[in-house]
Amino acid sequence: MKIEGSHKISASRARVFEALNDPAVLQKCIPGCESLEKTSENHYNAKLSAGVGAIKSKFTATVIISDLVAPSHYKLTVEGKGQPGFVKGSGDLSLEEFEGGTEIKYTGEVNVGGVIASVGQRMIQSTANMLAGKFFTALESETKAESTP
Amino acid sequence: MAENYVGKRVKRTEDPRLIQGLAHYVDDIKLPDTLHAVFLRSIYAHARIKSVDTSAAAKVPGVVAVYTGKDVSAKIGPVPCAGALPDLKTPDHRVLATNKVYFVGHPIAVVVAENRYAAKDAADLIQVDYEELPVALDEEKATQPGSPVIHEQFGTNVAYKLTAGEGDIEAALKSADKVIKQRILNQRLAPIAMEPRGVLVRYYPGEQELTMWTSTQIPHLARTQIALMLGFPENKFRLIAPEVGGGFGSKLNVYAEEALLGWIAMQLNRPVKWIESRRENIQATIHGRGQTGYLEIGYKKDGTITGLRYNVFADLGSYFQLLTPAIPTLTGLMLSGCYKIPAIQINVTGVFTNKMATDAYRGAGRPEATYVVERALDLVAADMGKDPVEVRRKNFPAPSEFPFKTATGLFYDSGNYEGALKKALDISGYHKLRDEQAKARKEGRLIGIGVSTYVEICALGPSQAMPAGGWESATVRIEPTGKVTVLTGASPHGQGQETSFAQLAADQLGVHINDVTVIHGDTSIVQYGIGTFGSRATAVGGTAVWYAIEKLKEKANKIAHHLLEAGEGKVTFKDGKFSVEAPKVKAASVPEPVLPAAGMAPGASLPDPEPHGKHVSLQDVALAAHLAKSLPQDMEPGLSATYFFEPKNFTFPFGTHIAVVEIDRETGEIHFQRYVAVDDCGKVINPMLVDGQVQGGIVQALGQALFEEVVYDDQGQLVSGTLMDYAVPRASNIPWMELDRTETPTDVNPMGVKGVGEAGTIGATPAIVAAVVDALSPLGVRHLDMPIKPETVWRIIGKNKTGAA
Repeated sequence: MKIEGSHKISASRARVFEALNDPAVLQKCIPGCESLEKTSENHYNAKLSAGVGAIKSKFTATVIISDLVAPSHYKLTVEGKGQPGFVKGSGDLSLEEFEGGTEIKYTGEVNVGGVIASVGQRMIQSTANMLAGKFFTALESETKAESTP
Repeated sequence: MAENYVGKRVKRTEDPRLIQGLAHYVDDIKLPDTLHAVFLRSIYAHARIKSVDTSAAAKVPGVVAVYTGKDVSAKIGPVPCAGALPDLKTPDHRVLATNKVYFVGHPIAVVVAENRYAAKDAADLIQVDYEELPVALDEEKATQPGSPVIHEQFGTNVAYKLTAGEGDIEAALKSADKVIKQRILNQRLAPIAMEPRGVLVRYYPGEQELTMWTSTQIPHLARTQIALMLGFPENKFRLIAPEVGGGFGSKLNVYAEEALLGWIAMQLNRPVKWIESRRENIQATIHGRGQTGYLEIGYKKDGTITGLRYNVFADLGSYFQLLTPAIPTLTGLMLSGCYKIPAIQINVTGVFTNKMATDAYRGAGRPEATYVVERALDLVAADMGKDPVEVRRKNFPAPSEFPFKTATGLFYDSGNYEGALKKALDISGYHKLRDEQAKARKEGRLIGIGVSTYVEICALGPSQAMPAGGWESATVRIEPTGKVTVLTGASPHGQGQETSFAQLAADQLGVHINDVTVIHGDTSIVQYGIGTFGSRATAVGGTAVWYAIEKLKEKANKIAHHLLEAGEGKVTFKDGKFSVEAPKVKAASVPEPVLPAAGMAPGASLPDPEPHGKHVSLQDVALAAHLAKSLPQDMEPGLSATYFFEPKNFTFPFGTHIAVVEIDRETGEIHFQRYVAVDDCGKVINPMLVDGQVQGGIVQALGQALFEEVVYDDQGQLVSGTLMDYAVPRASNIPWMELDRTETPTDVNPMGVKGVGEAGTIGATPAIVAAVVDALSPLGVRHLDMPIKPETVWRIIGKNKTGAA
């Protein structure tokens, strides 16, 4: 299913782009991310704890950053597998400057399988939107935190 | 025959144990030392299995064994399919997936543990490395070039193509004044039996005796097939269908889990049990319906139908279960409905999709046909601006035209379609309803009246037309104490034949109904039988009981004749007593009652076998037959008879259903105002059971018309995977039903009974859809696809509002 939206962050575009490429920042921003280990350039293994509705579990995931066009475009792909099934999500982020900050517009797709699909399907859209919101809120506070002297 | 019970509303003898929770379903049977199995199922609709790692699962405390496809594929034969069609492409269906998975829910591994919890925890630890593959989900798109192919070896997703029907369809449509075309969907449904599947198996290595309790509609056929899958001798294999909590066709099957559990029990020499969860039930028990078709119907100005063509894509799922490819062919057979249609053609394309297999679900191919024909007649009526009732009447065969030959190659045994229609119109006050509707429409209310006149094919069926024999068997025994035991090869699982067959036997034998016990479902007790499906148990199985009793009475009569020393006198049987017609009888000699009374209640004594003057009771005869001290010369002792009844034709019950609905303009909700059903299933043994069957069928039809739909998303994930998401009708959705009957007996069996198990799902779906369409017809609606949800209706009303403004 498709997700899309936008989020405004009061930090410069270069700063936001830099943060998005920083594994330490990513780990803090990806909701439920317990660890993030680099396996190769822009490839990471992650442990996530996530849930849809009543279905909560730990997932092992790969995180891939691709389609990098500094400082305006960035793609994040997360594929997680866990006991209740799988979650796959990818998002294309475009960063646009505006007075006082950066607007991130995103479009993405989320697919789930297994128990999550059969039990939690109708919550997935709202869960995906909520997770995207959490990601950007965390990103905003990270960029602020780091830009504070 | 005394009619003390037949035709009466006798309360079900099954119910006290069911209501009190005293019945024994598979899960109620507890054997010491039982292991529990849990299946790991695919979370992808289509994927290659690169590896399956069970090492962590095997280490879980309590786990006894973990098996994957590699462990069992060479040991257990393929899951059987009985559908034999020309050029049918049949995939090799193994009990566990090996290289590929084909649908969400496809079993990959099984964990066997000391308890269900350990087994479930361990199954969660199995690591499957999948390589995802593109999916083919839509039965139409899957036939097009460029679609992913599910079974590579076939190079196509088309499992078969079949054309059937008689008459020159091209000429028939050309000769019509008008041809109407309509795309028609029959959505995929889940049968949702109250009791999911369940299997318990015990193996005694010493005796080499395998016993399987499984929730099935076909104990004998299942035993034969599972014996073949396991390579185990059928005569050492006892299969028992204990209490079965509904099937609706979903248990007219042989499943991978059954054979696999049989094999596991023999591997481990311990009983092993598997009880299906509801989620598994919706994923991996067969689905029903699943057809997308294109209808063409030609008619003359006066409403006479000239021809009907139906090109249908049948969604078969990824594998075949027992009857998967055969179901759409039944749709073809019934496309004439209860009308004279000189030319009919059906073109079936059976298509593999990355979903669970479709198979028989209550009606099995016939509700689809009835829906198509009834929608077609309604479209003609709407097009002509005529009352749908008139168009139907125009095309009915008259009662004098029976046996009526259809252009689909069937001979309808008997029918009086006008009779049932008229009765339903009278009960509903049809013409008054139409007047009220006209008045309500002026007030802006959306009221709809839907009529369906259906015919169905039942009492399946002559063996020539069936994959595995279409007869049914019965053994009737009079025990030494005079009690009557009926063994039926039918396998009732909610229909109530323990009651109706006892009614039949009690009347035929002149005994009290409480003295009759009906036994079924145990292959070691009951002679071979075919089972319960296709509305056959009473018309075929009941007839076998009837014949067995007649056979038994012949023998009893000879014994009575001997006991009464009737000589030239004729012995007749009435109210449980044999009497000599001629009064000149000398006193009979008295046989000595020497049967040991072991096992009888203290103080109980055997009935006195002494003939009482001019008559002997059935009990006297039974005791004499068992004592065997005074029998006619060369007569076999004992008093039992077995009969295998082979019907010479199907039966064709019919009826008229009328639904009246009102639609809430604000919410799109559909409210029933009336529901009238007049069904004709021939002679009726127990009207209460018939009502129950019709009511249940109407509820499931209503489910299809308004609520139910198995939904897979565009990745093949099952999103209607729980009863929160798969909408079965609730009590508040069910209308009060005004039920009545006409009675047109059949000559296919001596009792004149036809069968009624599927009538509701066949007759009601089109009536309900027609009512909703009729309600919305002022808004220009001619047809809507099922399930017609309030949202759909609401959008139509909303669009119309905007359009008007």
